[in-house]
Amino acid sequence: MKQRFINLIVALPILILCGWLSIVLLSRWFAPDPSFQFARSLPGADGGPPASERDAAEELDIDLSGTLETYDGVPSGLPGAWPRFRGADFDNISKANVKLADSWPESGPEVLWSVELGEGHAAPVVFNGCVYVFDYDETARADALRCFSLADGSEIWRRSYALPAKRNHGLSRTIPAVTEDCIVTIGPRCHVSCVETKTGAFKWGIDLQRDYGTTEPLWFTGQCPLIDGNLAILAPAGPDALLMAVDCKSGEVVWKAPNPNAWKMSHSSIMPITLHGEEMYVYAAIGGMSGISKEGKVLWDIPWKASVIAPSPVPVSENRIFITGGYGAGSLMVEIDKTADGYAAREIARHGPKEWLASEQQTPILRNGLLYGIMPKDGGALKQQFVCYDPAGGELVWSSGKTHRFGLGPFFLADGRFFVLDDDGTLTMLAESRTGYEQLAQHRVLDGHDAWGPIALAGTRMLLRDSTRMVCIEVGGE
Amino acid sequence: MKPERKKDRRDFVRGAAAVLIGGAVMSAARSRSPRLVWQLDPEKCTQCGRCATHCVLAPSAVKCFHSYSICGYCDLCGGYLRPDAKSRDTGAENQLCPTAAITRTFIESPYYQYTIDEDLCIGCGICVKGCDVFGNGSMYMQVKHDLCVNCNECAIARSCPSDAFKRVPASDPYILKSDRERRIS
Repeated sequence: MKQRFINLIVALPILILCGWLSIVLLSRWFAPDPSFQFARSLPGADGGPPASERDAAEELDIDLSGTLETYDGVPSGLPGAWPRFRGADFDNISKANVKLADSWPESGPEVLWSVELGEGHAAPVVFNGCVYVFDYDETARADALRCFSLADGSEIWRRSYALPAKRNHGLSRTIPAVTEDCIVTIGPRCHVSCVETKTGAFKWGIDLQRDYGTTEPLWFTGQCPLIDGNLAILAPAGPDALLMAVDCKSGEVVWKAPNPNAWKMSHSSIMPITLHGEEMYVYAAIGGMSGISKEGKVLWDIPWKASVIAPSPVPVSENRIFITGGYGAGSLMVEIDKTADGYAAREIARHGPKEWLASEQQTPILRNGLLYGIMPKDGGALKQQFVCYDPAGGELVWSSGKTHRFGLGPFFLADGRFFVLDDDGTLTMLAESRTGYEQLAQHRVLDGHDAWGPIALAGTRMLLRDSTRMVCIEVGGE
Repeated sequence: MKPERKKDRRDFVRGAAAVLIGGAVMSAARSRSPRLVWQLDPEKCTQCGRCATHCVLAPSAVKCFHSYSICGYCDLCGGYLRPDAKSRDTGAENQLCPTAAITRTFIESPYYQYTIDEDLCIGCGICVKGCDVFGNGSMYMQVKHDLCVNCNECAIARSCPSDAFKRVPASDPYILKSDRERRIS
């Protein structure tokens, strides 16, 4: 009995001590907030302005008449023309009967001249011995339509208007449309201007943001204007006008096609396409694609959700149109059916960028029933490869393979061969083949990067650019 | 039967000299061959996520690198913002990085700078994929050699589905994306 009492006397303090210790340790374990070292990620930590301020449209009051400077250059008498985006027939295929070289010497094709440009991707057009580029002068902070001699690259004149713009993956992006009488341009911040072709004299200008409620696209405007006869066809994609036609002589608006779906301006350009025997204007806006009659009536439309669209619509048969976009958009094949009261658009196929032909920037080329293009960065195993697809059967016919990738490269077809430019300015000549990749020649013709501006060909002179330089090379053969 | 010759002092000196000369030759040869380390080629990397999960270190020795000469300093950054981000700001719900390892700083309208916090980066490559799809590809993955223990058989290299890992000389241990960056380094 006595021993049990002694044991209890000894054990009790120990038990009390252990209990007290347990309570202290548990309270210390549970008391602090385990996330006390966490920091909250809240809006505004970057020190930037609020979204409402950032997205507010900047009021610009631009005098589009600007100024004209003239220089010593003179127009050349050299043959050949490339008068607009995707060439004379809107298909990026040169039909001129010109023999081009089958191969290049080790030193590459001869570089005839080169000129420095403002940072951007605006490509040239060629007309009556003159090369026109819609540039951005970063020193003067001005949009500048520059006219050069095709012979030696010497500048002939420059019409510019002051415009505040900051580099956003380059500045200039668009290709002018040129005819005997006028040149129409669209600037990075949606300013349209029209000048006389020979002299550069100002005719008229339109601010699409101010006058038509256009929303400036991400990374500035990419839409290239279209001149059809005496009309400039533009896609402001504002509240009141998806497309509109402007008289090239007077600058007066001839018609406006409504925009009931409130679609926005994309980087895509308007393509005149003939469907069921009727020529119409087809435009892929942010929101969907639409066909507009030559009188400004909406003939059909079809929604398509793509956040960025740079390529333009491509007709692949008498009633089918192919459109593609980058940044995950993939592609859409649309069939336009004739109905009792007009037309109806129907989705035939919709593919992700890994599943079928897609493109981030350049518009595919249709040649003899096959579609050629360069796959986007999110194109899976085929990313940035030059590919050939059969739009009828739907299969991949061939690809350039994983050792031949071309970035976002521009490409076009002339004299039975493709010319493909990669991001770093390496030009590759391929045989036009229905069966496989056949490389004929390759040479680096530009030293810079981001060589994304489309290629132009006039006679045997090819014009290419990277982000800051344009070169003219000789590609003629025997 | 030939009688076995007893090894004398001369034999011992010959043997020692041979060992010394051989050792010197091997040592010289070894010093001429470069020491190699593991690196991943950003052009081959497909951002599969295995760099984060297969490295013997936790967190991984693979980190996101950012080339400022390639970056567009965009407000709408595909490497920073989730594709379905409700707004372009620093709210947690809009950030793509699972560990908030990217800091976004306003410079001037419309430019923002993005910096990688190496301590927080786990090498998952999610930002790299976003930047590659929607941007210029200025973000890319590299093995950080102050962290890498240079295993004889790199666990990530063994599981890399795109063969992006390779041995490079320790004197030139990074595969940087832009020429300008290469010159600076």
